Amino acid sequence: MELTRSVHVTSLACSRSSARRRPAPRRAPALRAIAALAASATFACGAAHAQSNANPDAAPEAPEADLAIQAQPSNFWTGFWTRQTMLGDMGGLRPWLGKYGVTFQLTETSEYLANLRGGLKTGGAYDGLTTATVQVDTSKALGIPGGLFNVSGLQIHGTNLSTSNLGTLNTASGIEATPTTRLWELWYQQSFLDKRLDVKIGQQSLDQEFITSQYAALFINTMFGWPALPSYDMPSGGPAYPLAGLGVRVRGQITPSLTALAGVFSGDPLGNDPNNLSGTNFNLHNGTLWIGELQYAINQPSEGELVSADNHGLPGTYKIGFWYNNNPFDDQRYDNTGLSLANPASTGIAATHRGNYSVYAVADQMIWRPDPDEARSIGVFARVMGAPGDRNLVSLAANLGIVMKAPFKGRDNDSVGLAASYIKVGNNVHNLDLDQRMFTGGPYGVRTQETVLEATYQYQVTPWWILQADAQYTFNAGAGQNPQDPTAPLRNTFVIGARTTITF
Amino acid sequence: MKHATRTLLQCTVHAARSALALAAAAVLAGAPLAAHADPQGLLETVKHHTTLINTVPDNGDQNPYAIFVAPVSSGTVKEGDVLVDNFNNAANLQGTGSTIVDYHPDTKQMTLFASIPRDLKECPGGVGLSTAMTMLKSGWVIVGSTPSNDGTTGTKGAGCLIVLDSNGKIAKTISSPNINDPWGNMAVLDNGDHATLFVSNAGFGVGGADGDPPVFKQATVLRLDLDIPSGQAPAVKSETVVASGFGAQADKGVFLVGPTGLALSADNKLLYVSDAIGNRINVIEDPLTRDTSAGVGRQLTADGLLHRPLAMIATPQGHLLVTNALNGQVVEIDPVAGKQLYARWIDTDKAQTPPGNGDLFGIALTPSGDGFYYVEDDVNTLVLAQ
Repeated sequence: MELTRSVHVTSLACSRSSARRRPAPRRAPALRAIAALAASATFACGAAHAQSNANPDAAPEAPEADLAIQAQPSNFWTGFWTRQTMLGDMGGLRPWLGKYGVTFQLTETSEYLANLRGGLKTGGAYDGLTTATVQVDTSKALGIPGGLFNVSGLQIHGTNLSTSNLGTLNTASGIEATPTTRLWELWYQQSFLDKRLDVKIGQQSLDQEFITSQYAALFINTMFGWPALPSYDMPSGGPAYPLAGLGVRVRGQITPSLTALAGVFSGDPLGNDPNNLSGTNFNLHNGTLWIGELQYAINQPSEGELVSADNHGLPGTYKIGFWYNNNPFDDQRYDNTGLSLANPASTGIAATHRGNYSVYAVADQMIWRPDPDEARSIGVFARVMGAPGDRNLVSLAANLGIVMKAPFKGRDNDSVGLAASYIKVGNNVHNLDLDQRMFTGGPYGVRTQETVLEATYQYQVTPWWILQADAQYTFNAGAGQNPQDPTAPLRNTFVIGARTTITF
Repeated sequence: MKHATRTLLQCTVHAARSALALAAAAVLAGAPLAAHADPQGLLETVKHHTTLINTVPDNGDQNPYAIFVAPVSSGTVKEGDVLVDNFNNAANLQGTGSTIVDYHPDTKQMTLFASIPRDLKECPGGVGLSTAMTMLKSGWVIVGSTPSNDGTTGTKGAGCLIVLDSNGKIAKTISSPNINDPWGNMAVLDNGDHATLFVSNAGFGVGGADGDPPVFKQATVLRLDLDIPSGQAPAVKSETVVASGFGAQADKGVFLVGPTGLALSADNKLLYVSDAIGNRINVIEDPLTRDTSAGVGRQLTADGLLHRPLAMIATPQGHLLVTNALNGQVVEIDPVAGKQLYARWIDTDKAQTPPGNGDLFGIALTPSGDGFYYVEDDVNTLVLAQ
């Protein structure tokens, strides 16, 4: 769900680019070199007194050419390849909206992923996501400082490769979902106390703020966005892409380096009408989800901080959190009489547990940065979470990875990364499979764990167009069980693909 | 041979200055620390950073660069108003912004002060308003243009200085072979009926930003002596290149990197120049009277807390405040001691690495000298640090 997170990147000015280049070594012609040598003899006080006409560094290739350049009227194509958004000011629409504090963003993510081996079947599929977001800055629109209104919609298209071809638990792409056009988020946020406290109310997608990892966001596999554990253990996958749930979230800066988030949300975003594909469930009937997170930042500046020397410490963010859902949850192995659900004598009605919960930890840490003024750096991330094994498909989920930014000279906005995602299936699920095998007496896939390894390169073609090449290999696909036929084997999968993201 | 003579003279001056500095240091070292509790500089006295306005005018121009506090009330401008110009147009292309907005601290409202035709014929290459902007006591506003046709230096023009009346109407343009992309904030000595402007020109030689663009060490600081007859637009009496040989480089991300900030010492005998390529602050001696270029002058301080220094102003105490391009810090320098005192994080936007990278540009002192205005150009806001 890394794509959807990018929806909230607000700043667009060209000048925020971290681009910086070193001067090119330039071979001086022999004559110029001699002149420079002669000139340097007069530089008794050192090079600081260099004059332009005796400068060996470089000379204008077409001096004064820019005196002849005339202003050209701009048209749609002016600056097409260098601007931040493909459609620029949208023929005046964006500045017109801007007058009222309104910003409009439209992105299209498209990808083609192909399964080369194993899984349910080999072959490729296209899928895509269009995200439209409108935000209103209430200080400009209504004179209310610190207010932000946000509404977003999704148009999901194409084929879900993971369900049609893979059968893996670590699903291959964070944007794969049931094709539909739906409302996504609809919220209002108000900040207080000089932005140290803010409250967000409305329909929210938790993957935008909770359990996030900055470095993991590069990867395409779903489980590097909204992780496997809440995806499989929360009712309907929890209020996260492509869903959102009604709720309230409070965020407060306790100290400059410590931030707390706490939220209370609808316990099941789809509970009242699972067939509603338009995002308008607005469900408040099926229990409650509480979630809290502490975020600790190291080597990151705070506003107003005075420094007397550069801090060369590398920045990192560490988070711990928990969630609790008060819905009843079915036991994954036993029925309401204590028999295994695989037992022919079972009532078939699962025993229930009151509530469900998880604790989690996330770490993002830069580990190498040769020059603090340049983009090149390496960062690592780790994320781990656990939940009770009796009522959950996933009892443990973890991510681990490494990302290098600006891997090549002149490619400041490219990233390359390698990461792994691990899913451990809950004990009762595992034991139920053993029971099934025992009671049926035949072959039966017993689920244990599944791991995917992903390698990716993200290439910025223009500020508004990103291409990403990707490869994923899944070990023990389906955690050891074929989801279409538990008695059939499921071989490891190898997926390659490419994604393109355009910001209009 | 003029040059060699000057070099020798400067050496002598440097030697004498170094000796004086040493002597001063010796005296200071022996002095009791009576002033221990007093603040060392301005940055530590700042308490709040208050976002004042979004600077985007109705035409959608973005990327606020220059900030100047009006010294007088004239036309539509009130004394103490904050003029802010925009470098980008609504499509966020650099070198195409053409508006100046006016923030009124009394009403906390913003109005459009000037909208200059982007294809202004008299200005080579048109209009892209830079950090070079001032308002004179006579009410005239002078603003620099570093224009581009497509947001890159590949189509940049030499630009000009545009003179506006205090109602934002164009009175004249100033262009000359000495002006090529007036880029950084101006240092100004304003005597009412005459004034002296110092402008950095970062465009000489610079071409497109593709590949690995070279550094052209041809950027200059130009002194413009202006006559301002009553009721008439300022006229350029003389142009003198007082410094030259600074590095400038085309840049894909930030358009142009070159000498940017200019500030005069309290006695007007020194001109400080922030040399972004050299990552240093240099000193030009006798800027008001010299009739030849001092080259790049003398290095006052380099590196340390400086990370590509941009706009620069002098505080009432005589210190220098300079914004960094590559992080969200403003650095305070004691130029007498040649020492960087400290830096303050005034922009910690983590959307960039390091935080605030590329966000800062213009800076201006409040009229009472107890704080400063700055822009966060990534989010198009004017902020008051006080």
